[in-house]
This record gives sequence, structure tokens and C-alpha cells, in this order.
Amino acid sequence: MACFDRVSPALREILLKLYRAEKPSEIDHHFYEFGSVEYHVQSSAADPQHNYLSISTPLLSQGALLSYGLSSYTMKMVKQVCSDAVEIVEPAKEGYQLTLKLNFAKVPRGKDSEKVITQISSVQAVILSSQLKEMLRNVNSQDTPQGMNKPIKLVYHPREPFYIIRQPQKITAVFPIRFREHSDVIIATAFFQELMDVGSSEKWAKAPPCTWSPIPPPELRGEPLEDLSTNGGFVSFDISLCHVEGKKLDKTVWSLLNFYAYVKKHVKCTRGFIQRRMQKRLESLVEVLHEEKLEENGNVKRVKAHAESRYGGKMIRLSKPKNFKRRCRDLTRKIMQIRFRIKIHGFRHFRRRWLTIPKFSSPLGYNKLE
Amino acid sequence: MATSLRLYLTCIRNTLEAALCLQNFPCQEVERHNKPEVEMKTSPELLLNSILICRNEAEKCLIETSINSMRISLKVKQADELENILTKKFLRFLSMRAEAFQVLRRKPVQGYDISFLITNFHCEEMQKRKLIDFIVQFMEDIEKEISELKMSVNTRGRLVATEFLKQFI
Repeated sequence: MACFDRVSPALREILLKLYRAEKPSEIDHHFYEFGSVEYHVQSSAADPQHNYLSISTPLLSQGALLSYGLSSYTMKMVKQVCSDAVEIVEPAKEGYQLTLKLNFAKVPRGKDSEKVITQISSVQAVILSSQLKEMLRNVNSQDTPQGMNKPIKLVYHPREPFYIIRQPQKITAVFPIRFREHSDVIIATAFFQELMDVGSSEKWAKAPPCTWSPIPPPELRGEPLEDLSTNGGFVSFDISLCHVEGKKLDKTVWSLLNFYAYVKKHVKCTRGFIQRRMQKRLESLVEVLHEEKLEENGNVKRVKAHAESRYGGKMIRLSKPKNFKRRCRDLTRKIMQIRFRIKIHGFRHFRRRWLTIPKFSSPLGYNKLE
Repeated sequence: MATSLRLYLTCIRNTLEAALCLQNFPCQEVERHNKPEVEMKTSPELLLNSILICRNEAEKCLIETSINSMRISLKVKQADELENILTKKFLRFLSMRAEAFQVLRRKPVQGYDISFLITNFHCEEMQKRKLIDFIVQFMEDIEKEISELKMSVNTRGRLVATEFLKQFI
């Protein structure tokens, strides 16, 4: 539900366009973010100085009880964030929880204008975090009412409820983790183990202690079974006073609200990383096989080329021993011619037929079969 | 490389060298068909004894041979849940792209993670020695890749955890 960025980029862009427009124009924009946050921006050409921004967002509810209106603390926070340029319209437009009247004439000129509009664009984040902020601010308050140790189920999104348990000197936030796919559970579990390891190191002593367990923590005893049946276990953060002091409160609240989104993003990115790495590995593995094939083809070509040069006919260049053998043969023939001066008719045929030593074929060579 | 892995791979290499003597053999059942006998198993006289080489309980290699084809099935070590999903993901990824390898089977033999099917035509097309080298190299690479992937996932997790905790300070 929550997003890492507090500012709604679409709303910021529309408001900036409205602010910078030279001619007043009729605008009636309806748009949604994260499926459930609805914005309505209205501007009329007749009254360009007064523009309306209405917001409808799921609020932090306790269990099944859905709260619709904004609390006085939330209204106070909204007023604080926005400058003089913004006025809360009461009652809000039908179907929306908050309607703001924006007077662009009161927005300071120059670089500050962008800053103010960015602040207005983050109004949904202010509404989201104000209720949890209120709870965390009362960590150390002594006027804890009776029965406050009972876990409070907070639901921003129906599939992502979490619990806040007020204990002496600290508040424990418990996140039941559920994933559809088993592989996601494993990646998330590996992440939680790392989170525990890192959190328990001395360097991160100031960070809230984090624990992960596959079974529900004892504080959640008595909660409905369907809420406690998870496949990814339970992650708990112990928030003490030092984590909610001054400016840290805002950061802590935003981090807790974004925890689900953070884990989901990590799982998604890790899956992408694994996929990329597998793709890369596949290429290298296939390359090995193709190299072998290419090498083989190269060998075949080389053999063919050799064969062509041997049996080509035109360029016959014999090796040195073969040359020597041929010369010897020629010399022997000449000596024989000198020795056999007397020519007997038919003796030559007789010598070839009966007096020559038979040739034996080499076992390594091949015999041409008839 | 660990000594046990080297011995395991050497054993597989030697077995493959001995077993990979395939020849063309037409199907005895269907006229003008040529089918890998190790898959069809139509004639028992054309099949040889299968060989199972085990490194440990979790890692083994089954080599099934016939007159014209050979099937090599591998079971890869999966020490924990993370290794298990990484191995499954990776081997499934490779099996889905089996056409790139030619000798890779799309579906592994039951009880194994990945299977190869080498026919006499593969042996004619590629060198026997190179094919064996590829199988052994593949086994080596898979093990290395899985352990590297596991380390990378854990390192990423640690970095992300550090970034998350930084927000509180």
C-alpha cells in the first residue's frame, strides 16, 4: 500500500502544471494510485486562483472496524504540512475524506514554489502516517489505559495487517508475513535472517531490535487463527523511546509503514537478479557446446582442405625422403642397364616374373579391395 | 575443487567414456523409424545395465545405455531450502531452453533434477570426447553456480537489511 516515496509523482506533476499555466483552464482530473488511493483535482477557468484537491484513501483501521473520517490529530498534521496556500474545506466533497482548497496566488514564487507543491503532493503520506505516529508518541506515557497490552490490529491493506503491542517502555510492531509462492517465502526468510544478524551486531545497536520467528510471538496469543496462519513467519520490531524522539518519529513511522513494501520489493528484485544471472549462465553454457561444434567443423574443413591439396593434381610437391627414394630408384635402373649389356630376348620378362622380391603391404596401410 | 567432487566427476567421465559407444540402429517395431531405445525400451536385448554413481545420498548420477542412445540423469545437492529453490529454478530454466543444448531432456527422469539424452546422431555430429567434457563441465558449473547464487542472494539480503536499519538511525 505504502510507497517508498512520500510524494505522489502524478499529483505533483498536475499541480505544477496548474501552477505554471499561463492561461487558466478547466481541469477535472480523477486518478488512482496503488489501486485504492483516489485523487480528484478540480480547477475552473472562471476562478483560477482557487483549485480543489480531494483525496480518498484507506485509513489505518483497527481490525474489522473501518474508520472513515480523519482524526483531529490527522487534520492538525495536514494543516502543519501545508502552508497558507492550503485551506481545508469542511465538509469534504462526497466520496472523499479530505478536500483541500489550493490558492496558488499565495504560493511563494521561485524555487520555493516547487517545494510547497511537493509538500502538498505528499498529503496522502501525512494522512497515512499520522495515526501510527500518534500511537508511537505515547510510548512512554504513563497514562496508559487499562488493557492496552492487548495487541492492536492495524489494517492499511486487507492482506497486510500488522499488530502494535504496547508494553512498558516500548512498543512492539509485529508483521505477519504471507506470500503466495513458496520461493518468495524462502527469499524473504533469508532476508529476515540477515536482518536479525545485522540488527544484532554492535554497529546497529541503536536500531530497533528485530526478531523473526516462524511461530507467532507470545504477545499475539488469543488472536484469531486466520490472522496467525502465515507461511513466512512473524517479524517483530521493538520500538523504544529513543526511536521516536524528535525527527526520528517520522522516519520510524514511515519505515514501519513501508516494511511490507520493502520486503516485497526485495523479493521481486532478487527474483529478477536470479533470472538475469541464470540467463547469463545459460549463454555461457551454450557457448561451450557451440565452441565445441565450431571447433569440430573447423577440423573437418582442415581435413578436407588437406585432402584437396593431396589429390588436387596440379601442385604435387613431394617430401624429401620421397625425392631421395625416387633418385635411388633411377640410379639403380641406370646401373642395371649398364650391367646387362647383353640383351637376351624374353629375359627381362623372366626376371620380372621370377626374380623380383614380392612386396608386402604395411599393416598400417589400406589395401584397395577389388 | 574438492577431492570428493574430483573423484566423483572422474568416475562419471570414465563411465561415460566406456558407455558412450553408440551406433545407428533402426527401430525393430516400426519400419523406417529410428528411435532412442533407452527411451522406448521396446527390446530388452538392446538395453545395457544402468549404472548409478553416488557421491552421497543427495548427489547421484544415473547412466542408462542402449544400443543407439544414452540417458544421463543428475541429482544435484540441495543442502537447505534456499539451495533447493535455486537449484529447481535454475534447472527448470535450463530445461525450458533445452533446444539450445540439443542433448538436454525437457523433463528429467523421476527422482532426478536434470537429464540428458545422447543419441548416436549426436555422437556423429559432435565428438564423443567433447560431449563427455561438456557433461562433466556442466556438472561442475551447476554446483558452482548454485553456491554463487546462494551467496549473492544472502549478500543482497544483508545489504538491503543494512539500508533498512539505516532509516532508524
